[in-house]
Amino acid sequence: MTKERGGSIIFLAAGLYGLVFSLGLPMGRWNEPGPGVFPLAISILLCLSGILWFIRGGKGGETSVIAVRQGFLQQYTTVIRIVGLTALFIGLLEPLGYLVTSILYLFALFFWVSRYRVWSAAAMAVACGAGSWLFFEKLLTTPLPKGLWPL
Amino acid sequence: MDMLNNLLEGFRIALSLKNIYLCFIGCLWGTMVGVLPGIGPLAGIALLIPATFGMDATGAIIMLSGIYYGAMYGGSTTSILMNIPGESASVVTCIDGYQMTRKGRGGAALFIAAWGSWIGGTLGIIGLMFLAPFLANFAVKFGPPEMFAVLLIAFILLGSLGKGSFFKTVPMIFLGLLVGTIGMDPLTGAMRFTHGIKDLYDGIGFIPVAMGAFGIGEILTSTEESLVRAVHKVKLRELLPSREELRASWGPIIRGTGIGFFIGLLPGSAHVLSSFASYTVEKRLAKRPEEFGTGRIEGVAGPETANNAASQSAMIPFLGLGIPTGPATAVMMIALLIHGVRPGPLFISEQPQVFWSLVASMYIGNVILIILNLPLVGIFINLLRVPFRILFPLILLICLIGTYAVNSSTVELVILLTCGVMGYLFRKLEFDVAPFILAIIIGPTLENAFRWSLMRSAGSFAIFVHSPITAVLITLSGLLLIWNVYRTLRPKRDWERALEEE
Repeated sequence: MTKERGGSIIFLAAGLYGLVFSLGLPMGRWNEPGPGVFPLAISILLCLSGILWFIRGGKGGETSVIAVRQGFLQQYTTVIRIVGLTALFIGLLEPLGYLVTSILYLFALFFWVSRYRVWSAAAMAVACGAGSWLFFEKLLTTPLPKGLWPL
Repeated sequence: MDMLNNLLEGFRIALSLKNIYLCFIGCLWGTMVGVLPGIGPLAGIALLIPATFGMDATGAIIMLSGIYYGAMYGGSTTSILMNIPGESASVVTCIDGYQMTRKGRGGAALFIAAWGSWIGGTLGIIGLMFLAPFLANFAVKFGPPEMFAVLLIAFILLGSLGKGSFFKTVPMIFLGLLVGTIGMDPLTGAMRFTHGIKDLYDGIGFIPVAMGAFGIGEILTSTEESLVRAVHKVKLRELLPSREELRASWGPIIRGTGIGFFIGLLPGSAHVLSSFASYTVEKRLAKRPEEFGTGRIEGVAGPETANNAASQSAMIPFLGLGIPTGPATAVMMIALLIHGVRPGPLFISEQPQVFWSLVASMYIGNVILIILNLPLVGIFINLLRVPFRILFPLILLICLIGTYAVNSSTVELVILLTCGVMGYLFRKLEFDVAPFILAIIIGPTLENAFRWSLMRSAGSFAIFVHSPITAVLITLSGLLLIWNVYRTLRPKRDWERALEEE
């Protein structure tokens, strides 16, 4: 798949989504445009841009950058791991609290992505997690989720 | 005389211990984020927004502005010493700056970069002092049709001056405009694209979008590259340039100031564009242009001056018109709105103490930065010795907690991550993310101006060409659009191809 086509898919998808949902909004009249007019117009333009880039992508577009083939997952392992771990962090942040979640998150990143040894990863995770908690919670007085441990 | 009195009053406020401290913190943090690849001024500003909640508006904007122009200074350090741009505006400094380091002239390059930045920044502030109030007074007469016309031409310029072709930038603008409509319609109260999620009723948070697209997106891209590089040491005595280098740098510094100041007024990646434009000009004017790329001081002096001048002049449309022309000023706008300060035509007249103390603090900040970036440059170089595989988890954590701290919302964290993945994808697909971000923040103003204009004119589109200002701007917009179509269809000229390659 060419870069142009990759982009066109995103634009088309967003444009179609906008088109479908903005048609359900009031359009108003010319002297009182409703809330649906602007998103509808933009969605149509997005769809047209997407079609334009899809066509252009088929005419000598740049070489593939996202190759959906065997080994696809291996090529983007690091990115997938980071995204997955971050999603887990978001899910566990409020139930477990910031301190525990940040230490677990950092440990997973240091060990599984940065490839540090277990004890090094654990030590850095505890130091950085606790340090960041002190910095944000105590120094900047940022309200952070307490979760299971009301510190 | 009024201006002088206002400036003196501004200095009186800015020279308080508290504000000097905040200016120092902003400049220090800005230099650090400029030095560290993977985290730029946008993330740097967003991360400190929660820290400003207990401050007054003056102190908050002094600190946040310090981060913004401080990052321009810091970005040159890694470009020169490691051939890694710490900030996107310093990309072109790598070309000759690193070559100077390899020849043992890294210290001189750092000095000239800091010196040029100081001159460009200071002259930029003088321009800001004169032009921002003038522009604000002019814009007070603007109604919805004029605002619509100004924003329309701003978007077309954004498309023209963004990275890549006009027709590659425009879909990103459309996408940003669509995302900007999420939330409650301010004119009718109707909910748009919220799907019953209460956290979206106030619109999609700009900070998670910007931090995600720029912060997390940048990290995901950087983890694909090896960042194990040698860090060249620089001793204090090596900082002084030779007489020839000083003499050779004056012309580029003066020209860079002019180029950067003018381009900074335009929307888009002004500080990036200004550094490239300055480099191109210096190469064209050089007696031996073939030497560029081998360690010419002009290749450092011009671009670094230009990007600092651009960062100051970008404050003119931001403060005078309320139009942020880049992602970093857009985040500053959010921060100011949180403090109840709305940049725009009425800002300078209604809150002169905030504006003039900001101007005064910029003079102070430029002095602080030259001290931080020259004799204390060794401290920042040590930051670069921290391996990236330790830094990036910390940066990710900071992005997450910085976003959570604004509204304590996990929905915004989901938006952050989603935009991070989108930012990564767009980088891979070579679509510019900055126009997307700008369109989210300016889009609602454009829509409101359009709808209000039609309401005033009872549905007649003639209102958009009724006044001389709107007629001229709409005509210019049309001409720019035609020019962009022509530019896309005609073959690229040699200098355009060469600039792309560099």
